[in-house]
Amino acid sequence: MLNIKDLHAGVDGKEILQGVDLCINPGEMHAVMGRNGSGKSTLSNVITGKEGYNISKGDILYKNESIIEWPPEKRALAGIFMSFQYPVSMPGVNNTYFLKAALNAKLKNAGEKELDAAGFLKLVKEKLTELNMDTSYLQRAVNEGFSGGEKKRNEILQMLTLEPEIAIMDETDSGLDIDALKIIANGINKYRNSERSFLVITHYQRLLRYLEPDVVHVLIDGKVVRSGGKELALELEEKGYHWLES
Amino acid sequence: MMPNYLHTEFQKILDREYFSKKVHPIRRKAFDSFIEDGLPDKKCEDWRFTDLSAIKKGNYRISEIDDGPTNKVNISKYGLESFNTIVIYNGHLQQDLSSVPKGIKILSNLEYMEHNNWKVNQPDMSPFDLLNTAFMDSGICLVIERRIEVDAPLRILFICSGDEKIMISPRIHIDLEESSSLTLVEQHVGDCNEYLYNGSVIMNIEDNAQLEHIRIQNNSKTTINMGNLHVTQHQGSNFTFNQFTLGGRLGRTNLYADLIEKGANCSLNGLSLSNDDQHLDAHIITNHHAPHCTSTQNFKSILKGRSSGVFNGRSIVQNKAQKTDSNQSNKNLLLSKDALMNSNPQLEIYAHDVKCSHGSSTGALEPDALFYIRSRGIDQDSARALLVRGFGSEIIEALENNEIRDHITNYFNQWIDKNKQ
Repeated sequence: MLNIKDLHAGVDGKEILQGVDLCINPGEMHAVMGRNGSGKSTLSNVITGKEGYNISKGDILYKNESIIEWPPEKRALAGIFMSFQYPVSMPGVNNTYFLKAALNAKLKNAGEKELDAAGFLKLVKEKLTELNMDTSYLQRAVNEGFSGGEKKRNEILQMLTLEPEIAIMDETDSGLDIDALKIIANGINKYRNSERSFLVITHYQRLLRYLEPDVVHVLIDGKVVRSGGKELALELEEKGYHWLES
Repeated sequence: MMPNYLHTEFQKILDREYFSKKVHPIRRKAFDSFIEDGLPDKKCEDWRFTDLSAIKKGNYRISEIDDGPTNKVNISKYGLESFNTIVIYNGHLQQDLSSVPKGIKILSNLEYMEHNNWKVNQPDMSPFDLLNTAFMDSGICLVIERRIEVDAPLRILFICSGDEKIMISPRIHIDLEESSSLTLVEQHVGDCNEYLYNGSVIMNIEDNAQLEHIRIQNNSKTTINMGNLHVTQHQGSNFTFNQFTLGGRLGRTNLYADLIEKGANCSLNGLSLSNDDQHLDAHIITNHHAPHCTSTQNFKSILKGRSSGVFNGRSIVQNKAQKTDSNQSNKNLLLSKDALMNSNPQLEIYAHDVKCSHGSSTGALEPDALFYIRSRGIDQDSARALLVRGFGSEIIEALENNEIRDHITNYFNQWIDKNKQ
């Protein structure tokens, strides 16, 4: 599904990723763990196509196609989604309007019939129920005045609505209390199936207790220094990152 | 400093037989003051950012009978079709196209002067007030009598048309007597080449009366629109002003709101859209003379191309105006590198027990917000459009009348479509 090969990427002349290799197959959940500054956010931004990064070497293949020249919207339409660490708030932009525009862009791209207001509302209400969200969310401006937990839930709502094939969860657990964490983990788990892949980027193993990744990678100074099963996350929790540093 | 053409035109207006000679001294006084001061240049603080050289060089003439419509005017293309409308075409009232809702008493300027024993306040806050008084024509005075609530909105539609360089100086008086209410739409449209609109709307809102004034300026991009608005508010009165400007090469609104008795409230809002070489200026003065009044100024501009804009908002709180609650906000969105906004919110406070705030921000679209939207599969142009619409929608959503809101939303969407790249 997603194949990252010897990826070197940086910003403002500074190389942050120094040769990352990562291969995620359909249905797999991978976790990338690392401390602040290890390159976790750069990795997710580069996969989703944020401007301002320079890829000096290597490639990102999605379904065997190189995507590094693709604009963000093309990647999204192809099925790549990111749940943002800091979802942007947009005063005046209605949440329903935004989500409907995104879904219809996807449907249009797939040559399917776009949804009208009623059709969309029916669909999104089902998703809201799954996430314990009330319909007042839909009337509000995107992330405007949302609490940390509400913003993250709104990200998951978008994921459930847009149905991506691979979802990158960038620090989804940050700023969440335990109840919110469980709801979100539950939402993600329900979405998992043998086709859909995940890349979970996180500081702590806390979220992984609920998500159970297939593979855990440790990112230090822009390189994957170790990969292993979910027990690697527990080991990191116990020992910290220090023992993996060369 | 004085445009020569005005002398000739002034004589012409004095010679018009159908105006009462009783108005001459009023005109003359205003004209002389105007001549003495001339048109302000950029050294004048209130006009620092607005270049009036086009008016100085303009060679405008006053509108003649021949400037009236030659064919039947079709006003349906300007929208708001269900509204009672007073149509003024190149400065000429179109009686056959005009109607007003029940409850409004209409007087001519002359009748209004008589009605008020010739004691009508002639504003002189800006040179364009004086110019309007000197040249006032197409006068309409609306009186809403005590306790009359006019449910249907009234529109005054100013149409400019043709290739002649015409100056028109409409004078509108609106008096709302105690506990009356009115929704007024002032709409400027037209396709003419050159045109100088210098209109004054003078409003008096008596105790507990309410006026909602919506101003839509969508003139052609070669015209000049100077709007002089004066409102005097009495006890417990409410004034809501919503302005939507997107036309004219030069547009300036001089709005003076005087809250002279306690408990008066005014809410002044505006959204300006400019591109190419347009210059749109909002000069908004709220003057609190009495205690327990509230006022808000909330103005936004979206600028593209080499266009420029001004927000000059001042809230004055006189020493008797204790317990004033006043806030000012000006937010501007620049969609091109060459666009320029001059934002100058000011507070002038002489009372000690007041709550006042002001703020201003000017910036481009947030790259992080654009990326966020695009990461959901929405293309760049649509992402920009979404953010621009979001920025302006606050002002439009606040409009209570559905028809007006839809009408303005429509203009806004068309503008966004044309300017999204």
